[in-house]
Amino acid sequence: MERETLISKWLDNNLNDQELEAFKKLEDYDDLVKLDRSLQGFKADNYDPASELESVLSSIKSKKEISVHWFKPFMKIAAILAICFSLYYYTTTLDTTVSTEFAQKTTLSLPDDSSVSLNAKSLLIFNRKEWKKERDVELEGEAFFKVSKGSSFKVITKTGTVTVYGTQFNVKERDNYFEVICYEGIVGVTYNSQLTKLKAGDSFLIIDGKLIVTEKENNATPSWLNNESRFKSLPYREVLAEFERQYGVSIEAENIDENQLFTGSFSHNNIDIALKSITLPLHLKYSKTNNTITLKRD
Amino acid sequence: MEKQLHDNICEEQLFSSIFKKHSKDLHNFLYYKYGELLNPKDKVQEAFIKLWENCRKISPDKAKSFLFTTANNLMLNEAAHQKVVLKHQQIKPKSYTNENPEFLMQEAEYMQKLQAALSNLTEAQREAFMMNRVEGKRFKEIAEILDISTKAVEKRIYGALEKLRKDIKEL
Repeated sequence: MERETLISKWLDNNLNDQELEAFKKLEDYDDLVKLDRSLQGFKADNYDPASELESVLSSIKSKKEISVHWFKPFMKIAAILAICFSLYYYTTTLDTTVSTEFAQKTTLSLPDDSSVSLNAKSLLIFNRKEWKKERDVELEGEAFFKVSKGSSFKVITKTGTVTVYGTQFNVKERDNYFEVICYEGIVGVTYNSQLTKLKAGDSFLIIDGKLIVTEKENNATPSWLNNESRFKSLPYREVLAEFERQYGVSIEAENIDENQLFTGSFSHNNIDIALKSITLPLHLKYSKTNNTITLKRD
Repeated sequence: MEKQLHDNICEEQLFSSIFKKHSKDLHNFLYYKYGELLNPKDKVQEAFIKLWENCRKISPDKAKSFLFTTANNLMLNEAAHQKVVLKHQQIKPKSYTNENPEFLMQEAEYMQKLQAALSNLTEAQREAFMMNRVEGKRFKEIAEILDISTKAVEKRIYGALEKLRKDIKEL
């Protein structure tokens, strides 16, 4: 048998008896055995798996490995909860806004059963969350309030602030026009940081920054709640502006003195009858094209 | 294909059994390849700790190759290839009775030559050869450990033997 194969088989401890004899007869047998014996001196350090395992396990346990187990899912849940909570918080503390368009009216109740009727083209803002602490509403336009008794109730407008203590009153704030009429109880109106107190039937009217003295109000509610706009000695342009808001039209007045005072009313239900009721007393003619109404002298 | 009982090894029992199975082979592999200066025992520990840290990603049948690759890389990080010198103990087989000074000197000289010759082997030759000669592992076992074919193991070991004998004669 070939020498190389014999040595290979010897290396692999795979010699049978016959081959072993042949191997022993090789000339370099002694050499190989000597080499093999000497190699034993180079044996690796003794390695004890049991004790090494123990030290590995103890160093593994000293690291806080388990924390990874719950930390990641915990963070996921926490993040979801945080998002839900902030969403909830955001939506509940958000201001509530109610607005009306041209020719639209609405009535809503506030968190304490006070009620508000909004006239056309008006805007009301209040905060449900803060309601128990402060009964504040912001108003642009015209609204009628029935306030249930309780802490002070404030209506904040650009022109002035109205403070009340359980009452019924109407606030109308339009361009250069600010009117408060008290129907029940007492209302305090702050205008230019001056407080005016109104009793039932009193009204407070500012036009172009001037205080106008008006008669006692005899009706129990403002006329617009009954789909009618009533005017007592008011400039004609206020009448036209109100008409535009109620019917969503635009009015062009030709050669007409818009400052002349007008006393009367118009209905919100029928535009033709309404037009007649504001033009006939002043001897005016009107023509209608689409959404534009032109007024002319007779 | 055999169905895996565990898809990862994050279990102390399983981890321990893997340790018992591979740690000694891994240690000897590192020792013969890189010598003892670079602390093969520590590298074995580090490799197993890395295995535990990544236990979720590693299936039991991948553990061995992960361990060997990791430990090998740990060694390479530390050692810019330097000559590996294996230390040796004096062996005194009892069969020798005629221990005269001359014989002892010859013996010491031979050991030095052998040591130098071992250093001259390539890493691949040395790891395979020493596992075979000193640890008494068969070609097939070494092939499994190193993830190479039996034929390649035979070639490495035979080549190592020839080279050693040649070097010893020349020195």
